[in-house]
Amino acid sequence: MIHPNAKKAAAVGLATALLLTGCGRDSAGSPAASSAKPIASGPASGTITLWAQGSEGEALPALLKEFEAENPGVKVNVTAIPWDAALSKYQTAIAGGTTPDVAQMGTTWMGDFASSFDATPQEIDASDFFPGSVKSTEVEGTTYGVPWYVDTRVVYYRSDLAEKAGITKAPETWDDFKALAKGLQEKAGAKYGVQLPAGVAGSYLDTLPFQWSNGAKLMNDDGTKWTLDTPEAAEALKYYSSFFADGLASKAVSTGTTAEASFVDGSAPMMISGPWHVGLLNKAGGEGFEDKYKVAPMPKETTSTSFVGGSNMVVFKKSENRDASWKLLQWLSKPEVQLKWYKATGDLPSQQSAWKDQSLASDSKLSVFGDQLKNTNNPPAVSTWTQVAAAADSEIEQIVKAGKDPAEALKSLQQAADSIGTGK
Amino acid sequence: MATTNAPPAGTKPPAGTKNAGRPPARARVRTGQSRRRRNAITAWLFALPFVLIFGVFMLGPLLSSFLMSFTDFTSRDIENPFAVGFVGLEQYAALFRNPQFLHSVLNTAYFVVVGIPLTTILALALAVALNNGISRFRTAFRVGFYTPVVTSIVAVAVVWRFILQPDGLLNVILGWVGIAGPDWLNSTTWSMPALIMMAVWRNLGTLMIIFLAGLQAVPGDILEAAEVDGANAWQRFMKITLPMLRPTLLLGTVLLSVGFLQFFEEPFVMTKGGPLDSTLSVSYFTYNQFGFGKYGLASAASYVLFVAIALLSLLQFRALRSKD
Amino acid sequence: MTIPDTSPLDAAAPAATTPGTEAAAVVRGTAPAGTNTTGGSPQGSNARRRSGRRAPARRTLTYAVLVVGVSATLLPFVWMFLGAFKTQGELLRRPITWWPEQPTLENFSSWFNELQIGTFFLNSVVVAVFTVLGNLLFCSMVGYALAKMDFPGKRFLFLLVMVMLMVPGVVTFVPLFVMVSKLGLVSTYPALILPFLAAPMGVFLMRQFIMGIPDSLIEAARIDGAGELRTFLRIVMPLCGPPLATLGILTFLGSWNNFLWPLVVAQSEEMYTLPVALSLYSTGQNATDYGLLLAGSVLIITPIILLFVALQRYFIQGVAATGIK
Repeated sequence: MIHPNAKKAAAVGLATALLLTGCGRDSAGSPAASSAKPIASGPASGTITLWAQGSEGEALPALLKEFEAENPGVKVNVTAIPWDAALSKYQTAIAGGTTPDVAQMGTTWMGDFASSFDATPQEIDASDFFPGSVKSTEVEGTTYGVPWYVDTRVVYYRSDLAEKAGITKAPETWDDFKALAKGLQEKAGAKYGVQLPAGVAGSYLDTLPFQWSNGAKLMNDDGTKWTLDTPEAAEALKYYSSFFADGLASKAVSTGTTAEASFVDGSAPMMISGPWHVGLLNKAGGEGFEDKYKVAPMPKETTSTSFVGGSNMVVFKKSENRDASWKLLQWLSKPEVQLKWYKATGDLPSQQSAWKDQSLASDSKLSVFGDQLKNTNNPPAVSTWTQVAAAADSEIEQIVKAGKDPAEALKSLQQAADSIGTGK
Repeated sequence: MATTNAPPAGTKPPAGTKNAGRPPARARVRTGQSRRRRNAITAWLFALPFVLIFGVFMLGPLLSSFLMSFTDFTSRDIENPFAVGFVGLEQYAALFRNPQFLHSVLNTAYFVVVGIPLTTILALALAVALNNGISRFRTAFRVGFYTPVVTSIVAVAVVWRFILQPDGLLNVILGWVGIAGPDWLNSTTWSMPALIMMAVWRNLGTLMIIFLAGLQAVPGDILEAAEVDGANAWQRFMKITLPMLRPTLLLGTVLLSVGFLQFFEEPFVMTKGGPLDSTLSVSYFTYNQFGFGKYGLASAASYVLFVAIALLSLLQFRALRSKD
Repeated sequence: MTIPDTSPLDAAAPAATTPGTEAAAVVRGTAPAGTNTTGGSPQGSNARRRSGRRAPARRTLTYAVLVVGVSATLLPFVWMFLGAFKTQGELLRRPITWWPEQPTLENFSSWFNELQIGTFFLNSVVVAVFTVLGNLLFCSMVGYALAKMDFPGKRFLFLLVMVMLMVPGVVTFVPLFVMVSKLGLVSTYPALILPFLAAPMGVFLMRQFIMGIPDSLIEAARIDGAGELRTFLRIVMPLCGPPLATLGILTFLGSWNNFLWPLVVAQSEEMYTLPVALSLYSTGQNATDYGLLLAGSVLIITPIILLFVALQRYFIQGVAATGIK
């Protein structure tokens, strides 16, 4: 029952639109990776807009006052963005052409947005960054932005309860790790020996340290094909899933705040997590709790390779103040600036030389992170990574909760990844 | 129409008639071309502000997304939108080959089929109880039951997560009556019921208000007369109240269907669609596809959802329409 | 037991119309529905008389069920309110506690001292107020045209409104943002307000109500030589109190709780609204500051609950008066 006029109008509209879109896709590929222009010399000037997430965005203005003091002609406007919707924010900003000059990028987002970033110029010295972090700035052979702060995953365990179970040294190998979980559960009153992600968003990422430590690679060397269902990966996932099958880890996803709570009350006194958990656990455990737990590098099979996370800083292609933006990134990469930043926020420096400072080197927990950072890897920075990771998360969930065979799960993951492609 | 002074039954003015005797007939004869045109212009002027805003901010984006659903548009085509390839119905075909999408369709259907009747029946019972079961504290109850509607989901999500934890409030209460509650949000069996519970909690108030308004239009004297005739409360409700509420029920359920078919916020803040995609709704699937930059596929999914909403609304119009 | 055929039900389509007895009542200067001071229904007197004859046991049971129900409904809010006074440590502990062990105002003071809550609050208010005013005016204008005028394209326009009602919100999001940025409106109040100024739901509500206003009133004004604008302002608008109240409240709610759009459109913190700020300051990359989140939630929810309590009577009248017969 549509009015004839409506039909007419719709037809006209559709026809116009088709005329407009009737040009079809160019067969020419994307433009070749731009060779980066050098940065102009002299102090930075003009206005720089910078977006940063959460507490970083809140703390940056204070730090950047020094940059403005060193470069009297420059003004940096910082906008803080909520973490839980930052991805949407960047997607729409790129779609609408309203990107800032500089932005903080989660390391796993690099592939998604790389086509909108400015390639890193020659003047940026990357020799002192942790090698794993430098890798996270490379997308399809071109480098974008700089590593800004880093985090990595290590083993957290309740040393006081481990002693109860008669284990006094940190777990070094896969066997040690499992033995510790068993000991905690059988002799130290834990309900579960270890907390492992059971298929929430990001749980595939959490299995990667085990896969890498077993020599698995996610892509072939030239990055043209996914290689997700290797025997090494299957073996690692078998090891991972055995914790659930043996009842050493809960199949329930920790929702809300149970992770800290069950670590503190001893019902699940071991987990794998990043540096942010130190502060959280001390808060949840209260006075004196920091002496009741220790951190250790990832357990070793062939290597002890962990996941490197954190954030990079990038400059957008559309930036109208490119030179000043890169100067800002250079300044943020200085070890002394990174140390100041660490003291203000607890974000760990991406420059290795900054770790020689006493505040980091003498801290028993942080130094473990420093050691682990020398041996890390990260997922391939391709534009389809988020999709592949999402598909992988649900496979992990199948393995853990539905008892799917890891090799089978990886086979179907490989198929899914092949159909998603590598975005090239 | 709710009104305090409904004329006693039998003397109601026949529905739809104009109050007689006001306009002299002469005035309505003057209908010429020019006058009609002037009227049309006036009418469009009245609609103009709306049409402008509507055209720019709704229709424009709507049309472009509609066209997108027939192309292989991805986020990398944004810079040069007219260079995309036209793929006809391929996106729609791809959708129905996508097991995850089919799963989300089933989930949404589950949510709608259980959620809508549940919310409707509860809201109706509540409205009847408030309307003639009690005589005091009506306002307090009304405000109390409506409160969840006015709050933002971001704010209540935290609290609900605490409630639904294995050792959370809900299981503590269930424990009092000897039931060992499940781990709501981590069980493929119980995650959807938990979200339905939350959705009912959030939408009950809206329907309750609508039904209360409808109940006020049921003339008391008819009910009185029926009572005198010896009809018990249940008969009165089934024979008089319910038939009179039909349009209200229709409005309520249509509004609810439009909302429930777009089920998104609860899984977004509570479960991220898990566990094992058991709470992934069509809207959520669409949101994810937009996130992956697959605009063509996401648009296609949106239009499938739109058709479902329109169909369900039509179906309800058919089912609940008055038969006179 | 037959239903008298004088029932006011002649709903035939979504565009159900009946003579506006409500409006007529207003015109005749009689009290509109539901203005009795107990806030009860217009049938209050009837209901009371009837329930007086009812077994008191049943009434007690009804009360008991309602009290349990309303307690369950409000429980999350109670917990939220109490949680806002707890420390982060206490919120992270299990089993959960009810009463704060060491009540603290820290969560609230950090909102008021360190964060520009005034700015966010002002933004939320400005956006909500303008969105509401615009909707009240534009939706009633177009509602009037759709209800009481004849013009080419009327049915098409109404069809479009109905279609828009059913289009999933997520679909136009990205194209809408591209449109707004092409217009150069990013990070301005207009970008936060304009896209929401003409809600299809509002048009539907106003049209339904205005259809119920007797033609005779409008005809009379037209014959007395009043132009359409004057008829609209003098005759129609004064009768539209109830649906305008409903539309106002619903629009305000939607605007107040809107999150994703303001986040995307605001390019600087000066333009953030309350929900965006709430999300920014309370959820981190790997951790949530629950105390801050709960306190912020209390701050966001309180004004709107107060507003609802103050206006709820008009709101319910408005719902009752809009196309529900």
